[in-house]
Amino acid sequence: MPQRKGSPTQRLTKLALLTALALIIFVVELQIPDIVPIPGVKLGLANIITVYAVYHYKAGEAFMILLVRILLASVYSGNISALIFSLSGGMLCLAGMVCIKRIIDEDHIWVSSVAGAMLHNIGQIFAAVAVMGTWTVFGYLPFLLVSGGIAGTFTGLSAQAVIKKMKGKEKTDRQ
Amino acid sequence: MDNKKQKLAIIIIAAVFVISAAVSAYMLLSDKGETVEIISGGKVLYTIDISREPDREIVVEYKGKKNVIAIKDHEIYMKEAECPDHTCIKTGKLSKSGVPIVCLPNKLIIKYTDNGSEGDIDATA
Repeated sequence: MPQRKGSPTQRLTKLALLTALALIIFVVELQIPDIVPIPGVKLGLANIITVYAVYHYKAGEAFMILLVRILLASVYSGNISALIFSLSGGMLCLAGMVCIKRIIDEDHIWVSSVAGAMLHNIGQIFAAVAVMGTWTVFGYLPFLLVSGGIAGTFTGLSAQAVIKKMKGKEKTDRQ
Repeated sequence: MDNKKQKLAIIIIAAVFVISAAVSAYMLLSDKGETVEIISGGKVLYTIDISREPDREIVVEYKGKKNVIAIKDHEIYMKEAECPDHTCIKTGKLSKSGVPIVCLPNKLIIKYTDNGSEGDIDATA
């Protein structure tokens, strides 16, 4: 549950650090060639940070991390035209995960991640429908949901592994 | 945490995954016919019977950005695109799998028409 300890400066620093981490992961992922040449299909490893932030920070703080990450990532990748898809997907994903957090506990964080990834794909498709002005792209949704399910499981399990390590670290720090 | 709710959530998510996998499989296996549509900015520009079309190139412009679509040996693919990601070129030849070639930045779609579906205006165009 949200940790409310620490001064505002400490929190700000942590948020900035998480955003920077997410961006680094994003840039590294950029170097991985597309596995499937379908727009919208990707691993989305940077969402390890999003999932973590949803469970450890307030919704508003997770929102800030995600927003800054998406904006800067689109600048880094030089693909500003993809911004609207990332934004609509990201926001729906975040909103969904903030709700799902109430049902799914941290030990099953990968489930939230899968749901988040699928919501991200749904958001993307609606943005694509709006941008392209045709419902044709909606046919993509099943493919995206399958790929999102797989990618979400992967990022979710990664997040779970990170959290487990961090918990172990906290214990050894206290000793 | 409520364990029952958690289980229900997991089941719902798994169901969504399985259903979309089934729909994907269905789309991959269904017959697509031979008619290909080129859609730009939401409007159908060309309807082509790919089995009869001679080899040629089609240039489509959208807001000053050019896409060159090539038809060769009754197969269609994106040859050139003035966009940042070139995903459409990497997609390669349009396959019968039902996955369309999409250039999101230039709002261009190349796909097989959904024949057989009722009330499809595009099919008669």
